[in-house]
Amino acid sequence: SLAGIMLLEVFLVLGTVIIYFLLSKKKEETLPFKEGWWGKGQKPDAEEDTTIWPFKVETTEEELSDLFRRLDQARFTEPLENCSFHYGTNSVYLRKVVSYWKNQFNWKKQVEVLNKYPQFKTKIQGINIHFVHVKPPHLPEGQSAKPLLMVHGWPGSFYEFYKIIPLLTDPASHGLCDEHIFEVICPSIPGYGFSEAPHKKDFNSVSAASIFYELMLRLGFNEFYAQGGDWGYLICTNLAQIAPNHVKGLHLNLASVTNMGFTHLLSILLGRYLPGLFGFQDEDVRRMFPFLKKGLYRILLESGYAHIQATKPDTVGCGLNDSPVGLAGYILEKFSTWTDLEFRNLEDGGLERKFNLDDLLTNIMIYWVSGCIVSSMRFYKENMQKGIGTQKHERLTVQVPTGIASYPNEIIHTPQAWAQKKYTNIVSFHFMPRGGHFAALEEPELLAEDILQFVGKVEKEQLWRRK
Amino acid sequence: ESILSRIRSCEYSQKNAILVPVAALGVGGMLVCWLRSRHKIKTIEMGDGWWGSGERPAKGKEDERIRPFKIETSDKEIEDLYRRLDQFRYTPPLEGAAFHYGFNSNYLQKVVAYWRNQFDWRKQVEVLNKYPHFQTTIEGIDIHFIHVKPPYVPHGRAVQPLLMVHGWPGSFYEFYKIIPLLTEPARHGLNEGDVVFEVICPSIPGYGFSEAPHQKGFNTIAAARIFHKLMNRLGFNQYYVQGGDWGSRITTDMAQMLPQSVKGLHLNVAFVMMQGLSMMISVMLGAYVPWLIGFTREDARRMYPFKEKNIYYILRESGYLHLQATKPDTAGCGLNDSPVGLAAYILEKFSTWTDRSFLHRDDGGLESKYTLDDLLTNVMIYWVTSSIVSSMRFYKENISE
Repeated sequence: SLAGIMLLEVFLVLGTVIIYFLLSKKKEETLPFKEGWWGKGQKPDAEEDTTIWPFKVETTEEELSDLFRRLDQARFTEPLENCSFHYGTNSVYLRKVVSYWKNQFNWKKQVEVLNKYPQFKTKIQGINIHFVHVKPPHLPEGQSAKPLLMVHGWPGSFYEFYKIIPLLTDPASHGLCDEHIFEVICPSIPGYGFSEAPHKKDFNSVSAASIFYELMLRLGFNEFYAQGGDWGYLICTNLAQIAPNHVKGLHLNLASVTNMGFTHLLSILLGRYLPGLFGFQDEDVRRMFPFLKKGLYRILLESGYAHIQATKPDTVGCGLNDSPVGLAGYILEKFSTWTDLEFRNLEDGGLERKFNLDDLLTNIMIYWVSGCIVSSMRFYKENMQKGIGTQKHERLTVQVPTGIASYPNEIIHTPQAWAQKKYTNIVSFHFMPRGGHFAALEEPELLAEDILQFVGKVEKEQLWRRK
Repeated sequence: ESILSRIRSCEYSQKNAILVPVAALGVGGMLVCWLRSRHKIKTIEMGDGWWGSGERPAKGKEDERIRPFKIETSDKEIEDLYRRLDQFRYTPPLEGAAFHYGFNSNYLQKVVAYWRNQFDWRKQVEVLNKYPHFQTTIEGIDIHFIHVKPPYVPHGRAVQPLLMVHGWPGSFYEFYKIIPLLTEPARHGLNEGDVVFEVICPSIPGYGFSEAPHQKGFNTIAAARIFHKLMNRLGFNQYYVQGGDWGSRITTDMAQMLPQSVKGLHLNVAFVMMQGLSMMISVMLGAYVPWLIGFTREDARRMYPFKEKNIYYILRESGYLHLQATKPDTAGCGLNDSPVGLAAYILEKFSTWTDRSFLHRDDGGLESKYTLDDLLTNVMIYWVTSSIVSSMRFYKENISE
């Protein structure tokens, strides 16, 4: 009868809707917090010491004379004729950098620069975690500082944020809107800089996210914003997946999607011709196509370092921890190529167009004086050894309000159409007018503005959930 | 039309007299063409090159003298090495890592201690110099080689010239143990046969004591051509060639470039490009019916399970290749400045490429197959010649296309 048929239809629709919800609910599951103990030997029975103690970077005459001795004895290899930066860091330019390093760079002065922001250490899961904690110098009546966790990547460090921190803790003095003022926390990823390196295997991005989550709780923050690029984007993403109720907003200057499927492949094949069908904007098409040149070949040409670090970190890092010139050559190549791929055509790698040697060398010195290059590289193996796209957190989505700043010279471009499959609550997605991978150091004003407008949106719409 | 009507008008016997020879000529002609095309071997163009600094000199012939060469060392060189070994900054390995994260730095400390306190480089230089060394300029760069003649040739025996080419991260030194077995087989209890060799082991340009090319584009074809010129300069028209690693590619190129000069090609690794669909199908079927594809039992044992042994294993072990084929100057920079870093990088290969199971061992199994003296002598060749960067560039010149 007609009524019977209609009833059947209603049940079918209801049934489909229920099943759909059940299935989609599954994707909203949180990432479990990763317990761990990363100290040497056995975990002691006693409760962990949760004190936070102040820390200052120091140097000694011995450290400096050892460095100078190694710089003096550096053995360079002549580059091929007319190769610029196509074979890697050009040793003719590297000699100039080393000469500056020996004769003009002042590490004692840079240590004072590093120490201008308060730094601390605290033991979490068995290892000492270093972080910078900068409070706003003055807060207008009735306003409170919003905690903002900013996470660096490789081969960067907490130092990358030194130019952007004042724009966020004191926006008014820098001509920015001061509706939102931040207190900024920049930790060093365990194994990087002044954070102790894990002594056990399997320390990956979820481990780092769990440790930083504990850090924020220990500092007394129940709700906070998180910002990151390079490894920082992944760690902050994991943090938002572990503790969505504590992360008010997630801001990224790199968004990568490792969980590629059939639709991605289809959009690569056809997206140039039918961009609208796949949600690509004009700027997406401009940055992504021709795909072989701007996608596949570029990744192959530029990912040798990731391949070897993800498989033999102790081998490749060994010499770099022993030769500061080798370390500089290795790290500077990234600051050149990842800032603008065109810099490969320049004899000097274009480095001083966007950065000054003092900043570049200070970052390198952090790797040198802490002896952390090997442990920094192990992070690649711990994250990638089982393959890309295989881990649980790569399949889970992020529901926390997300803001993405997409820089034009980032090595690979992720269109919003792809990003929103993982970041289901994108509140802002902007194409930045200029800048590359090291956004905070290269274009701090642009990044600060994007963060401020993102937080403004989140706060205004009260988008964060309370449970 | 007129020819046809004329043929039709002929009598039957007359037709035969015309048609049979014509048919025979036609078939015969086709047969001759087919036979000739089978023998027409396609060769690689020899071409030419210039690898010296700056512009190639317009006039004047290249200096073709073959100059004797001896490896030397000095107190200064050894002291500089010791200073660097003493100042090595060590990073402890992760607990339980063995060789899975690369060269285990605990074992590396032992190697460095031996290097510093027991390894005698002056003595090893004498060992290196026990065979005659030479240098000669070809295409603008100095080519180093050793040339070992049999100390004694039995009456009536022919001496075969044999070119042996090394690879990365090896050197001419890899052949030092096998040379006597080839120049004096009888003395080492080998089957005498009719064959005794005089052995020539060059260093690939950019490796060891051969000058590094100053221009871009130096690939295996250039090396093959240079080695042909070398053999020619030594007075050989026909010779045997042997190689492994890069040596395999170079000697293969030599055989394809001048097949009339290469009497025989012996390889201890053969690289074949993926030959399309048929190879893929044979790989897939070979796991189940190896005999159908022509795989022996040993083939099947070595190749399967395919994903694990070929794809995953290669991905895990080819990081160095990916990096050197894209950024050789970056990769080699620190290694030319830190002898310990150089040793770790090179010796990791001597461990893993000798036996995959060595990955599980804390000491990488190195001393179960080699002596530290031999391993370190090879590393020292890269160190004293500062050739690690140019050796890595060979990967980019050959692969990045």
